[in-house]
Amino acid sequence: MIPDLTQEGKAETKEWKPDLTAPVVMFDRVSKSYGRINALSGVSIGISGGVTGILGLNGAGKSTMFKLMMGKLKASSGAVRLFGTDPWKNPAPYSRIGFVPEHEKLHDWMTAFDFIVTFGRLHGMTRDEASKEAARVLDFVSLTDVMHKKIGQFSKGMRQRVKIAHALVNDPELIILDEPLQGCDPLARTTIMNVIKELGRMGRTVLVSSHILHEIERITEQIVILHRGRVLALGNSHAIREMLDQHPHKILLECDKARNLAKSVMDINEVTGMSFVNENQLLIETRHLGAVHSRLPKVIVDGKHTVKGIDNPDDDLQSILVYLTGGFL
Amino acid sequence: MSSRMDSIWSKLDRKATAIAEFTIRQYRTRISTWAVMIAGILALSMLVLFYIDGLNTEFEAIDNDGDSIDHDSDGYPTGQEIIEGTDPFSAQSFPVGVTPDPASKWINEDDFDWDAIEANDMSQGYDDDGDCRTRTTSSQRDQNDNNIECDVYMDWNIYTQEHTIYSDGGVDEDPDENLYGQEAQHRAFVLGIGKFGIVYMLGIMLPLFLATGLIREEMSSGTMHYMLAKPIARGEVLLYRMIGYIGVTWPYIMSICLVLCLITGFAGPGESIFRWSDIGIWMSISLSAMLVSLVYGTIFCGFGILWKNGVILALLLGVWELGMAFVAIASGGDSPIKFFSVIGWGLTLVDSATMIFWPDNNTLIEVGLWGGGQSVTSWFSGEERFVSLPAAEALSTFSGSTSGLSLAPWASAVTASLVLIIQAAMSWFIGQIVFKSKEID
Repeated sequence: MIPDLTQEGKAETKEWKPDLTAPVVMFDRVSKSYGRINALSGVSIGISGGVTGILGLNGAGKSTMFKLMMGKLKASSGAVRLFGTDPWKNPAPYSRIGFVPEHEKLHDWMTAFDFIVTFGRLHGMTRDEASKEAARVLDFVSLTDVMHKKIGQFSKGMRQRVKIAHALVNDPELIILDEPLQGCDPLARTTIMNVIKELGRMGRTVLVSSHILHEIERITEQIVILHRGRVLALGNSHAIREMLDQHPHKILLECDKARNLAKSVMDINEVTGMSFVNENQLLIETRHLGAVHSRLPKVIVDGKHTVKGIDNPDDDLQSILVYLTGGFL
Repeated sequence: MSSRMDSIWSKLDRKATAIAEFTIRQYRTRISTWAVMIAGILALSMLVLFYIDGLNTEFEAIDNDGDSIDHDSDGYPTGQEIIEGTDPFSAQSFPVGVTPDPASKWINEDDFDWDAIEANDMSQGYDDDGDCRTRTTSSQRDQNDNNIECDVYMDWNIYTQEHTIYSDGGVDEDPDENLYGQEAQHRAFVLGIGKFGIVYMLGIMLPLFLATGLIREEMSSGTMHYMLAKPIARGEVLLYRMIGYIGVTWPYIMSICLVLCLITGFAGPGESIFRWSDIGIWMSISLSAMLVSLVYGTIFCGFGILWKNGVILALLLGVWELGMAFVAIASGGDSPIKFFSVIGWGLTLVDSATMIFWPDNNTLIEVGLWGGGQSVTSWFSGEERFVSLPAAEALSTFSGSTSGLSLAPWASAVTASLVLIIQAAMSWFIGQIVFKSKEID
C-alpha cells in the first residue's frame, strides 16, 4: 500500500478481461439523436480484424460513430460494445484501444516525446516503460529525429503522425483513426497510409474514416459507407465499384475543337450521349466505362485530335452515393 | 488481497502522478497562471507597504487623566501635587523643597498592570501614580464595590461572551497609547490581511482563474479527447487534475504566508526579536486559505464541466461568499449564517487559531475599547462611551471573539478543517457525476 512514488514498481495487473467471443467492435441497432436530428439511426455492424474504411460525407455520422465508441457520447438506443464491454459505462477497454481524434488541437507546449510518455503513463506504465514505448512508436511513424521538439513547431502532417504515435503507445489491438489524412501533404499522406497498412498486416483491427473514396481504396478494400446516419453499403470496394459500372458514367474531354471531336466519338457504339460544355470541352455519357476508355485513344489518334485531358468527374463518393440512393442525397 | 491492493494503488498513483505532473507543467506554460500569481503578490505587497507605514507612525501619547497639566501655574504638574498632598488648584500650595517634575513624566504614567489571560471575573491593576491610593475615604478608593481598594474588576459574561470592566477611579487610567496602538495595529493587520486578503481573496481568485477552466478548456479545445481515450475513469481525471491544481496553488499560498510571517514577525512590535506566537496564526491562515481554495477550486471546476460559461456561476457563488465573509467578520465570528458557506468555515478556522495562539486577544480588545475609563457623552444620543485606544476598534473588527461553534478552540479548528475537507470531497463527488454523464463533442 505504499505509494509507488519512484515509479519503478511492477506494471499493473489488468482486472478487466476482454470478451474473446465478441467482435472487437459491435454496434447493435445503435441510434443517436441530438434533439430532432438523427445523427445515427439503427446502425448494426460487427468488425474484427483488418483495416476497415468508414466512408461518408460530412455529417454522415462517422464522427458520431467514433465518439460512441470512445465513450464520449451515450447511445440514444441500441448497444455499443468494444471487446464485449459498454464504453460509456466502463473505460477499461481503452487499455487495448488507440484513438486518433479528428481535432487538430494538441498540447503544443509539450515535446512529442513528453506528450507520448505522459499519455502512455495513463495506461499504468511506469515512466521508464512509457519512455521506451514512446521511442518505439515515434520510430514507427518516422519522427525519431524531431521527437524532442515542441509539437507547436510541427507541420500538419507531423502533428497527425504524433497523434497516431500516441495512439499506438499501448500496442493496441483496435486502432480508430478519425480522418487521419485530412489536410496532410502528399508525403505525410503516404507515410500515414503505409503506417495504417502496416498495422493491418500486423493483424490489428483498424478503423479509418474518410470522405474521399480513392484515399481509402489505397489503404483497404473493406469499406463501410455511411449516409445520413445509416449504413448504405458494406463490403469489398471492388464489388461496390462493379455495381457502379452498370450505371451511367460521364467522361469529360478537354480538346481544341469539341465539335470535330464529337463527330469521331460518335463512332464508338457504347457512347449513349454527348453534350458540349463549351467550345473546348466535350462531355460523353456511357454505361460501359471500361469499353469506352479502351477505344477512346484510337479514335483520337485516327481523327488527329488534340486532347489535353480526360477526366471522370463522377468517380467519387458523391456520385456513388447519388447512385446508391437513387439520386436522393 | 494485498497484492491486488498493491496493484490497484500503484496503477492509480501512476496515473495520478502522470496527470498531476502534466497539469502542473501545463499551468507553468500559461501566461494566465503567472499573471494571477503576480497580481496576488503585488496586491499583498501593497498591503505590506501600508503595514510598514503604520509601524513608522508613532501614536501620539495622550494624557488621558489630565494630570500633567499644571492648573495653578506653580511649576508642579497636578499628578505630582496629588502625590505630595498639596492643592493642585492653588498657586500658594506646592511641595516645598521638591524638584518639579517635567510634564512629560505625567503622561502615560499609569499603564495597564494586567496579566490575566482569560480574565474571568478577576481583580486587576495597580495605581502607579497614586491618585487613587491618596483618596481620603474607603468608598472613594473602592468605587466598583468589590471590597478591594484601587483595583480594576473584570467581569466575564458567559452568555454574551463579553468582558465588562469596572474600575476604581484613577487606576490604570493613563495607558501608553503607542505601546498599545502598535500591538493592536499589528494584530489587526495580521488578521485583516489574513482573513480577507489571503483566505477570501486568494482563496477565491486563484480557483476562479486557475480551476474553472481545468476541465472546461480541455473540453472546448478538444484536447480532452486524448485523456478520455485512456483506461481511466472521468472521476479520476477530475481528481488528479485537482491534485495538479493543488500542486500549484498550495505552495504559492504557503510561500506567501511564510514571507508575510517573516516580514511582520521581525518588523512587528514586541520585546523579542521575532513574534513567535504569530507563527501559529499564519499557519492557520495558510491552512484555511489552502482548504478554502481547494473547495472553491473543486466547485468551480465542476461549474466549468456543467456549463461552458461556468465562470458566471463561479462569480455568483463568489458574491455570496463575499457577503458571508462580511457577515462572519462583522459578527465577530458568532453568526450561524456564516456556516452556509465555505468562507465561514475558513474564517472560523482562523478565529479558533486566534483564541489558541493569542489567548489574550479578547482581553486586549476590551481593554483597548475601555481605554482607561475616560468616557465621553454623545451629544446625539446622550449615551456614555469610553474613549478607546488607537487601533482597538480595528482589532475588534478583524478578530473573531468566538468561533461561533461553542467548542473549545482546538475542537472548533479541527471541526472547521474537517468540514472544509468534506465540502471538497462532496464537490468532487458531485463534479464527477456531472462529468461522467456529460457528452463531449
